[in-house]
Amino acid sequence: MPSSTRRLKRSGLTMPIVTPRFINNAWHRGCDYINMDLEDSVPPNLKGYARSLVRESIPVVNKGGADAVCRINHDLMEADLDAAIWPGIMMVNYPKTEYGHEIERMDAIITRLEAERGIRPGTVEIGANIETAVGVANAFEIVTASSRVRDFGGASGYDMSRDLGVEMFVAFDQFVYGKGEVELAARAAGREPRAAPFTPNITGSVSDPDRAFAEADAARKCGFRIGGGLHPAVVEPQIRGFAPSDDEVSDARWVLREYRKLSRTGQTWVQVDVSSVDREASPRPMASESYLGRHRVIDRYEAARAEELLQWQDLCQERDQEKAEAIDRVRAAESAESAT
Amino acid sequence: MPILVRRSNLIVPAVEQRAVRRSWMHDADSVTLDLQAGTPDSELPQVRETLRQSISLASKAGAEVFVRVNAQFVYADSDAAVGPDLTGILLPGVESSETVAEADSILSELERKHGVAHRSLEIAPSIETAAGVWHIRDIVNASPRIRQVGIDEAALAASLGITQSADHDPFVYARGRLCIEATAAGVQPVAVADPMGVQTGDLSREGMVNVATDLRNLGFKGIVCGHPSWIAPVNEAYTPTESLVEYYTQVREVFAQALAAGTAAAPFAGRMIDVPVDEWAKDVLAMSAACAARDAEKQAALAAAAAYFDPSVPVIG
Repeated sequence: MPSSTRRLKRSGLTMPIVTPRFINNAWHRGCDYINMDLEDSVPPNLKGYARSLVRESIPVVNKGGADAVCRINHDLMEADLDAAIWPGIMMVNYPKTEYGHEIERMDAIITRLEAERGIRPGTVEIGANIETAVGVANAFEIVTASSRVRDFGGASGYDMSRDLGVEMFVAFDQFVYGKGEVELAARAAGREPRAAPFTPNITGSVSDPDRAFAEADAARKCGFRIGGGLHPAVVEPQIRGFAPSDDEVSDARWVLREYRKLSRTGQTWVQVDVSSVDREASPRPMASESYLGRHRVIDRYEAARAEELLQWQDLCQERDQEKAEAIDRVRAAESAESAT
Repeated sequence: MPILVRRSNLIVPAVEQRAVRRSWMHDADSVTLDLQAGTPDSELPQVRETLRQSISLASKAGAEVFVRVNAQFVYADSDAAVGPDLTGILLPGVESSETVAEADSILSELERKHGVAHRSLEIAPSIETAAGVWHIRDIVNASPRIRQVGIDEAALAASLGITQSADHDPFVYARGRLCIEATAAGVQPVAVADPMGVQTGDLSREGMVNVATDLRNLGFKGIVCGHPSWIAPVNEAYTPTESLVEYYTQVREVFAQALAAGTAAAPFAGRMIDVPVDEWAKDVLAMSAACAARDAEKQAALAAAAAYFDPSVPVIG
């Protein structure tokens, strides 16, 4: 896996590493990453056993092309890292990060383990999860503590709600400030923000596919590209929600074509009435009743947006292809095995 | 650290004798006697003279009592207030840690002067300006006396040229910053004065419970109430309901069973129960117990006060 390329994290399943039926079946769910949990879903008396499973589980979750991620325990950092940093691990999630020095220490340990275990230096990412008020307050020092922190987010979820003493499932965004601070810190530091706009979830359901799609779609439109969940039912809707729709792709191509025309005129912007465009044309702008409106302004900002959308679309397709091929290889090997 | 149950805080102008005399009757967890609003400077000496009596009166049903001092008279106002029944001072218009440090040393001096335990009195800073919001981290960490901090939204609105209304919320950022920075410092954020632009006087009891519940779910640990009618709905919103207690008792049982079966993640009513959910369940049950204990404490104080004032009970001495 080339280290310099951005790893997509549109969907990922977090699961207790001590439950073999989850770990053994996760590879064919189609998610971008699988987060093997040593933390909150593992009972205290099984922490040692859980650690012993990580190394052998990495190739199992990797089988379908998903990246292997491990969530370690805040208070057991050293022992958990020793168990998790093996070839094939892409990222380690560190929960309840509160200070930059925690990440610096983690970076030093990972650097040593990479050298000792034949892992390309600097490749294992750190997910510095913000789950407390102290973490929000120190967001910038945390995100800049290590170049291994490539994306950054949090400031919501159960731990955060506990720390603030607020209910988790309410009809308004009780975490809006913290999420804003963390996103700002991420963007100011040049890292990818991990966040989502507020979509009410009063039921607290973790397996609702419609909600998962709506949230991923809204997140993408707000400039976020990272998702994740707990239930296999949300994987496909997340992948779909993070991908631009066919109409959006066609629209982006149309925007770039109009922009090329505009560039030849010496003008900086033009307004196009899209209601008269042939609905069968290709590429074509999105239907005029869409949020974009009947009159579309084409300028360099709109062109940049369209370009990013198409690049993102390429990345999504490449990644989906990569996973499909991996799954095909496994299936082929399995059928070859059963044939003999 | 034990839970500090300070759900409702009734604020009463110290100059209004009738309101002061009745301040203990409303079941507030704390009462703030206000020397700032409503008291002309010329009447301050007179109000200060009877302040210790007023504090004692306000505390007789078990409420903690604060005094809102005038920013320009911190020494004189506090000097008139410090005594065994005072919990602390509410310091208005704080913009920097220096203001807190000055008040801290004044209280240390007055604790010595009036024979009150050293470092026992609290300072509750009130944020009323953009500078205060900006410097909130320095302010909440400026003294170990600080256990609660609030943004006076009406004052902040006035200083920023904002007309408050329930339709538009200008304080999403300020309120969020307060709750995050206070919580990070281990200090309780409280909401002050017609919070969220809602004229609570116009609301039904249910409407007030809803406003208070929203404030609780933004991270505020209590509400400063401008009128006695707010207190019951605020106490209600901040006390875990029976059905909530029942639900989280079940959550704890489900989680304990899951642990016994070798996993710390269990589905329950469409949700996933894992460690943080169980921890939150513990918090809710602990809050319920702490509220019950605080209510019992206030009941006992009220009963003692009633006995004292009951003419049929002989007064010794």
